Amino acid sequence: MSTDDESFHPLGEEWEDELESMLDDTEYDSELGMKMAQDAMRVTEGELSEAEFHDRYHEEVMEEFGEDERPTKEAYEAAQEEAKGTAASMLEKFDGDGEETRRETMKKMGVGAAAVGMGAFGTAADGPEQSLAAEKGPRQETTEESDTQWGMTIDLDRCDGCLSCMTACSQENDLDQGVNWMYVMAWEDENHSGASDGGNTDTNSQFNRLSDYNMLVRPCQHCTDAPCEKVCPTTARHTRDKDGLVLTDYDVCIGCRYCQVACPYGVNYFQWDDPDVAYEDIDGLEDPEDPDEITHAEYEHGERWVDSRAPRGVMSKCTMCPSMQDGKQGEENVGTTACETACPPDAIQFGNVKDEASDPSQHREYPTKSRAVIDINANVPSPDVVDSNVSDGDSLEAAIEAIDSTEDADLDETTVAVAKAIEIQSRDTETDPGDEENNSILEQQQTVLEFVTALEEYVDLESESARETLDLDQVDDIGNAAQIRLEQYAGDPSSFQLLEDIGTNPNVTYLGTQPGPEAHQVEGPTKYEDVDLLDKRQEYLDKETVGHVDGVSL
Amino acid sequence: MSTKEPTEADILRPINTLTKKYFILYGAAALGLVAFLIAWAYQLQQGLIVTGLGDWGSGGGSTWGLYIGAFIWWVGVAHGGIILSAAVRLLGMDRYMPIARLAEMTTIGGLSAAGFYILVHMGRPDRMVTSVIGHYHITVNNSPLVWDVTVITAYFVLSATYLGLTLRYDISRLRDDLPDMFEPVYKIMTIGYSEKEDQVIDRMVWWLAAAVIIMAPLLLHGGVIPWLFALLPAMPAWSGGIQGPMFLSIALMSAISGVMIISYAFRRAYDWDHIITDDIFRGLLLWLGFFTLLFLWFQLQANINGVFLGPTNSAVAAEAKMAHPLYQLAMGMAFLTLVYIFLQAIRPSLFSKKRALVASVAILSATLTEKILFVVEGFLHPTFDIYANTPGTYFPSAIEWLSLVGTAGLVALLFLNLSKLVPVVELHAIEHMRGDHGHSDDATEQEVEA
Ligand code: SF4
Ligand code: SF4
Repeated sequence: MSTDDESFHPLGEEWEDELESMLDDTEYDSELGMKMAQDAMRVTEGELSEAEFHDRYHEEVMEEFGEDERPTKEAYEAAQEEAKGTAASMLEKFDGDGEETRRETMKKMGVGAAAVGMGAFGTAADGPEQSLAAEKGPRQETTEESDTQWGMTIDLDRCDGCLSCMTACSQENDLDQGVNWMYVMAWEDENHSGASDGGNTDTNSQFNRLSDYNMLVRPCQHCTDAPCEKVCPTTARHTRDKDGLVLTDYDVCIGCRYCQVACPYGVNYFQWDDPDVAYEDIDGLEDPEDPDEITHAEYEHGERWVDSRAPRGVMSKCTMCPSMQDGKQGEENVGTTACETACPPDAIQFGNVKDEASDPSQHREYPTKSRAVIDINANVPSPDVVDSNVSDGDSLEAAIEAIDSTEDADLDETTVAVAKAIEIQSRDTETDPGDEENNSILEQQQTVLEFVTALEEYVDLESESARETLDLDQVDDIGNAAQIRLEQYAGDPSSFQLLEDIGTNPNVTYLGTQPGPEAHQVEGPTKYEDVDLLDKRQEYLDKETVGHVDGVSL
Repeated sequence: MSTKEPTEADILRPINTLTKKYFILYGAAALGLVAFLIAWAYQLQQGLIVTGLGDWGSGGGSTWGLYIGAFIWWVGVAHGGIILSAAVRLLGMDRYMPIARLAEMTTIGGLSAAGFYILVHMGRPDRMVTSVIGHYHITVNNSPLVWDVTVITAYFVLSATYLGLTLRYDISRLRDDLPDMFEPVYKIMTIGYSEKEDQVIDRMVWWLAAAVIIMAPLLLHGGVIPWLFALLPAMPAWSGGIQGPMFLSIALMSAISGVMIISYAFRRAYDWDHIITDDIFRGLLLWLGFFTLLFLWFQLQANINGVFLGPTNSAVAAEAKMAHPLYQLAMGMAFLTLVYIFLQAIRPSLFSKKRALVASVAILSATLTEKILFVVEGFLHPTFDIYANTPGTYFPSAIEWLSLVGTAGLVALLFLNLSKLVPVVELHAIEHMRGDHGHSDDATEQEVEA
């Protein structure tokens, strides 16, 4: 601490250095900033009055910041707050701006205010680290806002209700019966009747919805403004700065269940009794002594235990597999989740929603094209097959025939038409999957594009006759024609988020039909019991209730 | 009415007597508390699965239940108690002076019970200190639960100070007649006492009372406690600005009823007809009627707002609540009590202390029922009401029911113990009754309500 060095600030020299380098980063005069900071501390110590402070710097500040009076005012107010010792309200100043990082806010406030603002935390007696931690609060970034935010885009029309994701999740995380972190349900409302009323009429495209049911796939939404985190009295429920995952620290949670109360989506599951899987048996706990081996238990940077099933008496919910995202389960699993990997029709697309090239972004921004890519990429022949079967001057029909007749590939006009339409539609958009892990949609799109390029070596797919064959001639403009063709094939799903008006800013986006306010769950295509899942956990919990009487309820 | 002069001996009687009835009562209260402590130990050993609680949503349960309902109910009793006592001091409602200290003790008792409920409700009570205090500087910015704990602690300190300060006056004057056994306690309580401080203390107590009254709507039951629920966007059964006034009215109803029951018991046990007079009961009954009227009015507001063309989610929640038989029962009890109070105000011959007692018990049951239902209703009809298993089921387990007995025992024990240690009626009160006779004893039979 500062007792024996020359620094003016109670947190000492180290702190000042950091402050100075921060001020250097702003476009303002850092010398002035340091001087102001010094005097601001004197104000708090009562050596200098606020008015004197204000007078002393008014002119210089005006010079530095121009006409705008705001910085000085704010600095002055900040100093006043500080003098009262209300560190909490100082913090709010930084918290309040929501989106902005602390650094940005400080730039805006000007160096003087910045210095004073930092000074406010000098009152915390536990050294720079702790003070920083104290000040950043549960949701704030320490420095720049991270450019990773894990999230999902889920295509409800592709979901066939097989419940594979639910089983995969419960295996991956060793969950108890009825703890359905991932929950899949079929629903109906007055505008959208389900399978029971004889099929759906929403989609007038060739795209076949994989089930007649309206589905909803409900993981935790990993909300950017998570109410569960806001209400937590312990900071056990927290958002990871580095990637925006909303997690529960199993070693801190006191089991008050306020997060479960505050979450509007009902995704939390409390550990009412001892979990079925003992701690030693948690999957991935190969060698508890070796931090690199600890994937599930006792985990986040080896310090916070946030993954896998919860111990007794604390809260749990979908984690979006942090041990995978952190590479603890191998590089190949970064950017995937157990449920995504398990989903047979690829309805779940997980990734960094802030990255334009990621699966969820692609799926959200270009739902029609992405659906088509996911659907046909496995069927397009490789360039080699094209090269060895097609020759110059072949007509389109002849080329398709030639490829289709080989052992290695099936091909029809629809596939070629959709592939070509994808190529046209991707001209102005990002096509490079980048080095990020598992940007599979763009990788699959590459496959499609390579096929189109190979085929176009031999056949002109944009000739009048080819366009006619491929049904790409409804309108003159080829871009529009491609869009129409893709919509014919894959539909044009609308996208939505659950309870958008509540202000949680979820990081899960859905494609498909949005359940209305009166929607209610109906029995789905696969029964929970059939895949060894328990739907109504209360049935299990009631067994242990002391003095439980069946059928009696408030 | 009684013509006896209240004396010091009267208020010292509980301290200097020991009866069989006292032991029986003490035993019963202790038994209740111990029974629950054992049940709690079992809960700690097995986990919260022994309760009737569950996960709302796909699980089909109720996250919070009787524990939280009883918690806010006890906090209500406590807050109402301190408001009552503050009002007596601040507004010069001298006729209630003999029960002011009982009201303060009710506050201490209520807060102890509420604090106990916080522990009982937690999945990991062992972490309360490290997890909550350790992150207090962060969570106090956001978490209504932390605000609650803060405010409750603050009011505990405030009430205890308040009680402690006024006790100094009594103890120093009555010291000779107090049992030597507790001498060290009295020494500590009257440390540094001199008669000169009386005036200062009077002012301090006045300011404390002023603080209680001023902060009541915001920080006590009109604000922070309902915010625990009302601020959450997705549970329509809880939301809305009406919850503040509603909670406050419930707090005052419960506290007045509680104080009436306790006063009744003391009066009976120690022949205090001339101290806790009929007049006090009549007055309290009228106040009870007044707050019950407010309460029913707020309920009406909340229901009409949901039912008449309310948004789908609040309409569903309001309709379900109104259709609940227990809700109807609770409201019916409150309403009938109101009718009785109204009638006895018109025809004083309808008043009897027994009836006042019945009215108090009816109101306490009604408010407790309302609180528990209020908590549970939130989970039954959330905005995201798609799950087949929602509304789920919840019925308190035997352990949860037992907690009511346990906390009631706890509060009873507190009174039984305190009554042997310090006078539960202020010396000031009897001095006042003697010196200013006309004012308190012959006051009008009825108090005109606002
Ligand atoms: S859905 Fe949002 S509010 Fe609910 S638990 Fe997840 S992050 Fe928290
Ligand atoms: S149950 Fe745990 S994570 Fe949830 S709010 Fe309470 S302390 Fe926080």
